[in-house]
Amino acid sequence: MTTPPVLTVDLPSTPARLGAVRDLARALDAAGLGALSISGDAERGDLHPIHVASHLAPLTRALSLVVRTDAVDVEPFHLATQLMSLDHISGGRAGWLVETRTDDEAAHVVGREALDPEAARRETSDVVTVARLVWDSWSDDAVVRDAETGVYVDAAKLQYVDFEGETFSVRGPSITPRSPQGLLPVLVADADRAAVGDTVAEQLADGRAVDVVLDPDATAQEIAGAVREALGAAGIVGAELDPQAADTAAASAAPSTPRLVRLVGLLGQQDPADDVAQSQRADAGEDAFRPAELASRVADAAAQLRADGLVAPAPSAGNTLREQFGLPRPDVTIDPARRSDRARTAQKETAR
Amino acid sequence: MSSTTAEQTTAGAAASPADTDHPIHAAHTPSGTIRLGVFFQGVNSSTAWRAPGAGDQVAWESFERLITTAERGVFSAFFLGEGLRLREHQGVPLEFDVAGRPDAQTLLAALASITRQIGLVATQNTTYNDPVDLARRLQSLDLLSDGRAAWNIVTTDNAWTGENFRRGGYIDHAERYEHAEAFVDVARRIWRGEDVDHQGRHYHVRASGRLPRSRQGEPVLFQAGVSPQGRDFAARTADVIFSPFGDLERAIDFRHDIVERTLAAGRSAESVQIFPGAEFILAATDAEAEDKLRWVREQQVGPQQAIALLEQYWGRDLTAYDPDGPLPDVDPLVAESGVTRGAGFQFEKAQELTRAWREEAAQKGLSILEFARSRQGSRGSSFTGSYDSVAEQLAEYARWGAIDGLNITPWLIPGGLDDIVDELVPRLQERGVYPTEYSGTTLRENLGLPALA
Ligand SMILES: Cc1cc2nc3c(=O)[nH]c(=O)nc-3n(C[C@H](O)[C@H](O)[C@H](O)COP(=O)(O)O)c2cc1C
Repeated sequence: MTTPPVLTVDLPSTPARLGAVRDLARALDAAGLGALSISGDAERGDLHPIHVASHLAPLTRALSLVVRTDAVDVEPFHLATQLMSLDHISGGRAGWLVETRTDDEAAHVVGREALDPEAARRETSDVVTVARLVWDSWSDDAVVRDAETGVYVDAAKLQYVDFEGETFSVRGPSITPRSPQGLLPVLVADADRAAVGDTVAEQLADGRAVDVVLDPDATAQEIAGAVREALGAAGIVGAELDPQAADTAAASAAPSTPRLVRLVGLLGQQDPADDVAQSQRADAGEDAFRPAELASRVADAAAQLRADGLVAPAPSAGNTLREQFGLPRPDVTIDPARRSDRARTAQKETAR
Repeated sequence: MSSTTAEQTTAGAAASPADTDHPIHAAHTPSGTIRLGVFFQGVNSSTAWRAPGAGDQVAWESFERLITTAERGVFSAFFLGEGLRLREHQGVPLEFDVAGRPDAQTLLAALASITRQIGLVATQNTTYNDPVDLARRLQSLDLLSDGRAAWNIVTTDNAWTGENFRRGGYIDHAERYEHAEAFVDVARRIWRGEDVDHQGRHYHVRASGRLPRSRQGEPVLFQAGVSPQGRDFAARTADVIFSPFGDLERAIDFRHDIVERTLAAGRSAESVQIFPGAEFILAATDAEAEDKLRWVREQQVGPQQAIALLEQYWGRDLTAYDPDGPLPDVDPLVAESGVTRGAGFQFEKAQELTRAWREEAAQKGLSILEFARSRQGSRGSSFTGSYDSVAEQLAEYARWGAIDGLNITPWLIPGGLDDIVDELVPRLQERGVYPTEYSGTTLRENLGLPALA
């Protein structure tokens, strides 16, 4: 039985709105929303989305924090450890919406030239692969704290990443222990589908985010209606209702399974100039953007959709994002060839 | 005052400073106070993970408890260290010390939500980061914390760490500060909203600063690394130096040296503050504190760790040696202790060092285990004593103006700040050498740094 998708509100991480974003995150958490997705575009003047997600973690209890961030013009090792740190900090509430930047501006920031779209897709797939290898480089029980033998961390329970890609390589292991979810859910939003490419979207990802673009003043009815329509158009409503289409386990784990329904645009235009105008209006006491009011509209829409079984139930404190998705927590398999004590083992072999 | 005079003054360090306004350098006026910061190290043997009460090194609750306690104690800053590759010895990750920590900035962004005044310092490397990306992340942290962020600039540059990154081991050790200087310049221009087109030796970056300035203008700059190049770099660039020189004598020498370099760089003598690393072992009486020190050392360094410590410098298997016996009478297999990897151990001359250690241990009659324990806490300084005597000792530092603060590595996570905040801080406040409240909300204000233009 497929778990219905988790309802998500997309928050652009504009600095002028920081106070309102904090209030909104708290209000949506209290209202039982499933997740927030946090988008940020540095070239536009947004705060780093991983930082914003992490900042919101202690302010919220149950909702998950899904970061929409670029896989290409970054250091894959940094990205992987930042995301797994978010998972530690949030107690397993982290997820990653993979973005693929192909513009010159983003490339020039890190001293590169923009990749052609095909190369960017291959690189995205390499970065997703590496992130998972980094996340799986410590067994869950690697920290043994054995006072008798003096061992804090067992090197036999760590493994190198040993990844050699087309444009980068990563040795590993991670500098951060395995995180609560083990592997963070990796998702692809409709907005990023083309740039991210087939390999990630159809083979590597844990699921899809269905994007529903809305006006900032959309009513609860309109939000619910738009979600119904989007799920219907994606064939999801039909699948849910048709017992013949009841998924096999394989289907429910398919990379294209809709896991999130992402409400985009509720915070209004994403132009920084507008934000300044908005925050000035807010300073002047004009309620241009009212977190509590927006949260209650979203909560009403969520209640309607949940009544029809179209979106997942409200999470409880302590639920991980994988749990909201109905995905099991994967174990680590230590690959003997990459085991971190291989140098010692090899030495002993030679000595024998 | 020349450096010779500083040495003479140092010889009489137990006495009071001669010139109370300028005891170390004619151009330097001591503030008469000291501040405290906490340095969560997360690697190496400073953390006694076997001790009762030792908690999780990664759990949010551990960091929450540490930083909340530090803020209650009016600490200036909460510091996180960084190591971009898991420390290894001869190709195997070190097993006996604590290891594994969250990413510094990701954690600090979260800690900003549960604190109001304490500074948030991220150790971040200039070799394995991209300057514009790092600048934007630090500026994000500064905005999220409403002006409490700082960057502890480090230049670790070995090719072994580079194996985790795109550029690999692309710079030469000699080049590290030249590279760091250009890197910091790019970061500052991004913070100031400029368009940057930087063509360096290793890359060409183009970007614009698009984020607004924070309440403190831009992140405070800390620096750690004490080579002559590192000191000059700090003198030109940093607001605060995180130094390893905590004992009064070396602190005085270091202050004198930094004042000279800072003046030479065209900045005023007070523009660079100094925070040595420190460890506090406190108890009700001096005698109890001495006992506690012995016990803490036992908790920090076990027999296996003692052997492992020597192996790091000898570069060979020493497991056959008895931890309760004398130091190995063999020479190291390596010329430089580069086989062990991690920020602290690079480029030490193994032959000279191990010979000196053997002599020292023999002279003092120390076994391997005793010797390893005696070395513990050597990076920075240990303050061991009753609450009152350590308070007196710190008041003496304040009178000299040898340091501006201390960066405490708690030997116990997460409870290691409790006695410092509950017992030592009030005694320092009674003596008028420690703040009784935060003077502002930004880190710049709370360190007493001048506002940015
Ligand atoms: C007290 C102190 C703490 C340091 N902490 C770190 C750290 O956490 N991570 C790191 O990569 N480097 C750290 N370093 C800095 C590196 O050791 C430094 O980049 C390296 O020593 C090169 O600089 P140098 O040659 O000037 O000493 C620290 C240095 C000092 C003095």
